[in-house]
Amino acid sequence: MALLQIAEPGQSAAPHQHRLAAGIDLGTTNSLVAVVRSGRAETLPDEQGRHLLPSVVRYADADAVVVGHEAKAMAAADPHNTIASVKRLIGRGIADIKTLGGRLPYEFEAAEGGMPRILTRAGAKSPVEVSAAILEVLARRAEQALGGELAGVVITVPAYFDDAQRQATKDAARLAGLHLFRLLNEPTAAAVAYGLDRRAEGLHAVYDLGGGTFDISILRLNKGVFEVLSTGGDSALGGDDFDRAVAHWILEQAGLGEGQDPRLLRRVLADACAAKEALSEAGAVPLDIDLGEGRRWQGELDRETFHGLVDPLVSRTLSACRRALRDAGLRPGEVADVIMVGGSTRVPRVRERVAEFFGIPPLVDLDPDRVVAMGAALQADVLAGNRPDSDTLLLDVNPLSLGIETLGGLVERIIPRNTTLPVARAQEFTTFKDGQTAMAIHVVQGERDLVQDCRSLARFELRGIPPMVAGAARIRVTFQVDADGLLSVSAREQTRGVEARVEVKPSYGLADSEVERMLRESLTHAEDDLAARRLREEQVEAARVLESLRTALAEDGEALLEPDERAAIDAAAERLETLAAGSDPEAIHTALKTLERTCAPYVQRRMDAGIQRAMAGRRVSEFD
Amino acid sequence: MGISLTPSAAEHVSRFLENRGKGIGLRLGVRTSGCSGMAYVLEFADELQEGDRVFEDKGVKVIVDPKSLIYLEGTELDYTREGLNEGFKFNNPNARNECGCGESFTA
Amino acid sequence: MDLTRDHFALFGLDRTYDLDVQALHDRYRELQRVVHPDRYASAPDQERRLAMQEAVRVNEAFQVLKDPLQRAVYLLGLHGIDLDRANARVDPAFLMEQMELREALEAVPAAADPHTALEAVLERIQAAIEGLQGRLSGLFARGDEAALAEAVEGVRRYQFLDKLRQEAEGVEARLEETG
Repeated sequence: MALLQIAEPGQSAAPHQHRLAAGIDLGTTNSLVAVVRSGRAETLPDEQGRHLLPSVVRYADADAVVVGHEAKAMAAADPHNTIASVKRLIGRGIADIKTLGGRLPYEFEAAEGGMPRILTRAGAKSPVEVSAAILEVLARRAEQALGGELAGVVITVPAYFDDAQRQATKDAARLAGLHLFRLLNEPTAAAVAYGLDRRAEGLHAVYDLGGGTFDISILRLNKGVFEVLSTGGDSALGGDDFDRAVAHWILEQAGLGEGQDPRLLRRVLADACAAKEALSEAGAVPLDIDLGEGRRWQGELDRETFHGLVDPLVSRTLSACRRALRDAGLRPGEVADVIMVGGSTRVPRVRERVAEFFGIPPLVDLDPDRVVAMGAALQADVLAGNRPDSDTLLLDVNPLSLGIETLGGLVERIIPRNTTLPVARAQEFTTFKDGQTAMAIHVVQGERDLVQDCRSLARFELRGIPPMVAGAARIRVTFQVDADGLLSVSAREQTRGVEARVEVKPSYGLADSEVERMLRESLTHAEDDLAARRLREEQVEAARVLESLRTALAEDGEALLEPDERAAIDAAAERLETLAAGSDPEAIHTALKTLERTCAPYVQRRMDAGIQRAMAGRRVSEFD
Repeated sequence: MGISLTPSAAEHVSRFLENRGKGIGLRLGVRTSGCSGMAYVLEFADELQEGDRVFEDKGVKVIVDPKSLIYLEGTELDYTREGLNEGFKFNNPNARNECGCGESFTA
Repeated sequence: MDLTRDHFALFGLDRTYDLDVQALHDRYRELQRVVHPDRYASAPDQERRLAMQEAVRVNEAFQVLKDPLQRAVYLLGLHGIDLDRANARVDPAFLMEQMELREALEAVPAAADPHTALEAVLERIQAAIEGLQGRLSGLFARGDEAALAEAVEGVRRYQFLDKLRQEAEGVEARLEETG
């Protein structure tokens, strides 16, 4: 049963009229959607009762996109058209992807601006489009469960995601037709789900080891306020790497070298993953691997060997923890709680070493796979305006330093990392040639001193600078990072007050024009979807109204209604029932309104009857 | 009889009011909803309307219009936590059927 | 919110170097609760832009006030002293000491026990900084022209030491990464 919240005067929402909102955990391996319903944050299952949606998208033919379990099942058989772990690619350039490690079975083409596209039989697909396909499935699931259109969503991203990755995620939401309330850092979402905001103040670490990313965040909680003190991690390290290490070991044991075909690799990876999971319970697991062409390899993997394989990876996560603590000016012993997030924290070895590092047993009460989506749903509910009395406030920080390229390929820092968001900083530039009217600015993100070691975020040109002698123009460029961690840039020539035109081209994102083109292309489908959704909404509402009307009429219809009134209501109800079985949402809506109008005197009489019942046998003065 | 608040509800109402920085109390009410039922109203109150009844319990002013009072007489407002969520709950002796979500009822 | 007020006034704090750190943090949270963009997620664009500006302003002021070095530079600015243009005259004895500290830091990675050696350097830097903070607090409390001139020199020293501390922390990070 729902718990009510206090509304502003006159603002009480009609029952069942809450603004619908959902939280989406767009994960590397699996994705989830959660909503706050009947007063509770819960993740939503599909028709088969499965909460996790594998983040796998398969382009089965030119028009059919399959997302989730079915796509995953076809990964080994159709590797080129089945895209898994797309989160590793989002917001990345071709050059990054080549150095990502692991052998990706996809074929890429470099598109305009260095953004890669994956060649599939349905054409070249950008990581943004692939992510949007996953978001659409989850959003549809939420809308079906809630029986209405979503007012907005909160999507989580690793705290360590840079601007290009955040921008690309935001584009994916747009492409999926969703209104994005906010991008929320995954560890912060986990802390919200654990209700840490209602706890005593203290320092908390969120250790998030997912399929493909690792994040560590140090949060300070004080009087319901979350303050992210520091974040760190590795956006290319996760449980998939555990599987890869085990798979590599299996291939080595079986006497097979590098360069196996993608199908065999997928199979061995699946076996490696199963062995890893079995080792949570057992001390050793037998292995029986199908090497193809009728060959098999049999062996055994024991815990000790497994620890040897994954320990270097766990150590890398702990180094990141150490760095994050140092950034926050803390020692491991000062952390009050460690929250475990991500399926890979189920590995007992991980829990062991985290406990040893922080000197406390980590928190594992909530399902580590679902906790992020639940937190996102809670925050989405707040941002939708359904919890006006909530005093939770999430203060995030800029995860990586922002700078610009200066002479000699050096980076000049403009906004250092771990600066609380939102933030704006201005920098003055000048011209170096007489009569210069344009100037190129290159924005980078990262902690290194050389431009080549940092991530290129955007290049843009300031134009329309009034011609002056070299060094006379004073151009003030303002860099602003909003609460989502997204950068925007504006510029102004100071001496003449000319607002210079700025074109920001995200290096690895989608240009706005591209997003618009894709939106147009998907519009035909969208119209069909919209009509279907509208119909479903009206049907659900009609069923609800008819049901409660029937109950009421059975109770006091006889007593309160004249026969002709009753006949009118019955006729209107019957008409609604007939139309609700049809497929015209507009007609259902009209019939519903007609029924409500026909019922209005009856509803009023019911209320009055209630008053009379209550007053019977009492003196009027009691009600003064 | 009137309307009462549990200690937890009183404490939260006071806190929310303080946080909001204005308001004279809490308005409780009911109104018609849909084709057959009624819904609860739970709002901050900034002013009194004509005919309003004012109750005071545990330092909180509860304001109810006379028509709603018929349905709310004897109601206890509680504040509870269920899992990850918390909020107010009407323990209403007059309500006979509540819809599953607790937002509306029939008397 | 009046965005033109100085940082101290914005937080409702006295314009002093020894500010009440707890009050600063409390006021910061109160202000962010009101202006943070999340409070305006469903508001019209215009309101959201305005809230964003205010949140940026609050963050900027907080950043400056909570850091003792930035706070000192800002206070000088409020007294009309631009540090970049003020006369730079740092005591040669102080510079000698700086050079010596820097040499000690450079020798850390080659030391028999680098961690202990680094700890010793960091402690010396910290002690020097704390000494300066005490001095600055007295000078800002006096606030006359001579005191402010002396504060300029103190801030200069502080900047040297702060830079050195950052370098020392960089050395610490590298030590930890290489085990």
